[in-house]
Amino acid sequence: MTFTISAPPHRKQDITLRKIIFAKILALVPVCIVAVYFFGLYALALIIVSMVAAVVTEAIIQKVFDKPLEINNGHAALIGLMIALVVPPEVPIWIPMIGSIFGVAIAKHAFGGLGSSVFNPVLAAWVFLSLAWGPLMQPVSFPMIGAISDLVLETGAGHLIGVSPLALIGGVYLIYRRYIEWRIPVFYFLTTIVFALIIGDSLSYVLTGAFIFGVLFLATDTPSSPVTKNGRIIYGILCGVLTVIYGHFDNYIYATFYGLFLANCVASFIDNNTLPGSYAEESFFQRKYNQIMDKIPFEKLGVYLDE
Amino acid sequence: MAEISIMKNIPEKVIIPLKQHNGTVCEPLVSKGDIVKVGQKIGECTSDICAAVHSSICGEVISIEDFPTPSGTKVMSVILKPTEVAECVDFTPRDATKEEELISIIKDAGIVENYGTPTHLVLRPGDGFNIDIVLINATASEWIWGDYKSPRDYALQILESLKLLMKASNASNGAIVLRNDNSEFISAFDGLVFDGKRLNVAPLVGKRRASYYFKDQQSDIVILSQDRIYGQNILNLFTYNVTGRHVPFNCNPASVGVAICSVQSAKAFYDVVHNGKPYIETVVSVSGKVNNPQKILVKIGTPFKDVIEACGGYKGEPGKLIANGAITGVAQYVDEVPVTKTTFSITVQDKSEVLRDEPLPCVHCARCVDVCPVNLIPARLATLADQGRFDECNQMYVNNCIECGRCAASCPSKIPILQLIRYAKVAIKKAYEDVPPKESSNLKLGCSCGSV
Repeated sequence: MTFTISAPPHRKQDITLRKIIFAKILALVPVCIVAVYFFGLYALALIIVSMVAAVVTEAIIQKVFDKPLEINNGHAALIGLMIALVVPPEVPIWIPMIGSIFGVAIAKHAFGGLGSSVFNPVLAAWVFLSLAWGPLMQPVSFPMIGAISDLVLETGAGHLIGVSPLALIGGVYLIYRRYIEWRIPVFYFLTTIVFALIIGDSLSYVLTGAFIFGVLFLATDTPSSPVTKNGRIIYGILCGVLTVIYGHFDNYIYATFYGLFLANCVASFIDNNTLPGSYAEESFFQRKYNQIMDKIPFEKLGVYLDE
Repeated sequence: MAEISIMKNIPEKVIIPLKQHNGTVCEPLVSKGDIVKVGQKIGECTSDICAAVHSSICGEVISIEDFPTPSGTKVMSVILKPTEVAECVDFTPRDATKEEELISIIKDAGIVENYGTPTHLVLRPGDGFNIDIVLINATASEWIWGDYKSPRDYALQILESLKLLMKASNASNGAIVLRNDNSEFISAFDGLVFDGKRLNVAPLVGKRRASYYFKDQQSDIVILSQDRIYGQNILNLFTYNVTGRHVPFNCNPASVGVAICSVQSAKAFYDVVHNGKPYIETVVSVSGKVNNPQKILVKIGTPFKDVIEACGGYKGEPGKLIANGAITGVAQYVDEVPVTKTTFSITVQDKSEVLRDEPLPCVHCARCVDVCPVNLIPARLATLADQGRFDECNQMYVNNCIECGRCAASCPSKIPILQLIRYAKVAIKKAYEDVPPKESSNLKLGCSCGSV
C-alpha cells in the first residue's frame, strides 16, 4: 500500500486565486449588463475588445519570455474588463485596446507579473489614457445622484461604470465571503463620507458608480495595497482623504482614480512602518491606556485586577 | 459523551520504540529470545533527559532493530511477538507522600507529555527554575479517562491528579484549562466541590487571567476556559494566554515558572500512583476515511494498521495516513508504524482528498495575516525564508510562530508557508547553536532564568 507524503497542513481551505478572480469578474457582470442596456451594443464591443486585447497581450508576453502561460487564471481578463469600465462610452474602439495593452504589458508585467505590480494596472492604464488622449477621455457629463432611482440607473453617467452604483452590490457579497478583505473598503468609504460632509460637499456627487467601484474593486487590488492590519486601515483613511481633497476642487470621479493612484505610491511605505510587534508586546495606545489605568486605585474600590 | 472503545485484539507484532520522547535513546534491558511480561521495563534511561520504556504486552522479543516511528524518523525499537498466555507484572500502588519520590515515580513510569518532553523535566526543569503554576491543557485533548461512573467522577479524578502534579513539582497553584465550546467538560466541572471549595469554570477574558481567579476564588486550584488552540509549538502562547507571563526568546515556559501538562500524562500519572501501572496504553482518536471512526484505547506499540483494522478498516483506497491531526500532523510512509506515547490521533484520507497544489506567486491578499493567531505576517516571512534572509525573519518574530498551519491552509496561491517558516526557524536555531554564548557580544542569548 502506498501513501502520499507531504508537509502539513494536509487539509486546506477550498480557495484558489482563480476562484477569487472569477468571483470578481462575476460581480462586475451586472454593471456590464446595465451599461450595455444604457449605452447600446457599442459598450459591449468596448468590453470585449478590451478583454481580448488584455488576454492576448499577456499570452504574447509569456510566450516571448518563455514563462508558463497564466491566462487561465483570468487576471488579464479582469484587468481588461475593468479598463473598459472606466472609459467613456463614446471613445474610439482602440482606446480601451491601448489601455489594456499598457495595463498588462507595462503596469503588470514590467513590474514583475502577477502579484508584484506597484500600481493598480487599471489605474495606471486610466492615467496613461487620460494624459495621452485627454479630449477623447473627457466624459460627456458627470453624474449627480438626485433621486433614489439614480442609484439603480444613473442617466447622467459619463463612464460605463457610472450607470448603476447599486449593480456593484456583488462586491459587498465578496467581502462577506472574505474574497475581498474588509478593512480598506470600510475605512475608505467612511472617511470619504465623513470628510466630504465636514468640508461641505454634497453627497450626491460623491456616491457615484465610479466611487463605489473604487471602494470595492480598485482600492482592494491586493498587490498595490498594504498587508498589515493597521496598514490597511491607514491606507483606507489615506485613500479617503486624497479622494476628498481632489474631489472638492474638481470632481469625485477623477478624484477616486487619482486619489487611489497616489495612495498606491505609499502602500509599501505604510506596510513597512506598520509591521506588527510580538503578540505579547503592548502597542502605543495600550501602553498609554495602561498608564492611566494604573493610576486608578482599583484595590481600594474592591475590584481585583490581574497582578 | 464520547465513548471510548477498548481495542481487544492483540496484534501479531508489537513495536516498542526505545525513544518516544525528545531526548536520548533508552538502553534495551532485554535481548532477542527473552520473554517479557506486561508492564515490564524494557528500556532504561541513560541520561536525565529520558523516560523509561515498558512493554505493553506479554510476548517474546523477536528482534531489536531500527524501525520507523510516527515522527518520520527511524528509532531503535524492541519488536515483540505476543505469546498465548498473558502474564502481568504485579502492579502495586505507589506511596505518594514525598515529592522526591513522586518525581522518580514519574521517571520510572516513563510518562511523557504529548509534545514530547518527559513529564519529570516539565515539573522539575532543573536548577534555577522554580515552577509555581501547573496547568493541565485540556483544550485539545478529548475526554479520555477510562473508568468513571459519571462526568463528576471524571472531573474529580483529573483534579486529584492535578494535586499530585502540583505536589510533585512543588508548585503552589494549579489550573485546568478547558475549551470554551466544550460544554461536556464545562458542565462536569462547573459547581464541583473539591477540598471543601466550590469551583466555577472561569473564562479567560481580557485582563482576567489565572492569577486574578486565584485571588477571586480564594483557591489554589481554578478551572479556566479559553478558545481552542492548536499547533506544534503552542506552549509559549498558551502560557501567555493563561498566566500573562511572557516567555523570553528561545526559552520554554519553565523559565517563567509554568509547567504545562496534557490530560494524557495526568491520567498516566494518576494510574501509576493509584494502580502502579506504567504508561503502556493511550487513547487514540481515529478519524477520516475508516469504516468506524472512534476513540480507542490502544496499547503503546500497536501498529497503525491494527488500530485501523479495529476501527473497521479503510474505507476505499487510502491515499494518506496522518499521525496527530490533519492540519499539523506528520504524513506516514507505511502503516506499520507503532502508536507511541506522543500519538493522539490518526487520520486517514482517501486518494481524492490528497492535495496536489502548484504554488503561484503571492498576490499579497493578506488572508494569512488575518488568520494568524500571533500577529505575524506569514507571507512576508515565507518570502524572506525563501530568499535565505533569516536575520530579517528573526526580527519579525518568526520564533513566535506556533505552527498551526492556518496561513498555509488559507492561502489562495497555495504557497507552502508553514514549511518555509519552519525552515527559517531551524536555520536560526542552528545559527545560535554555533555561537558560544559568552563570547558573542551582539547576540542576546539564553533565558533570563526565572526572572520575567
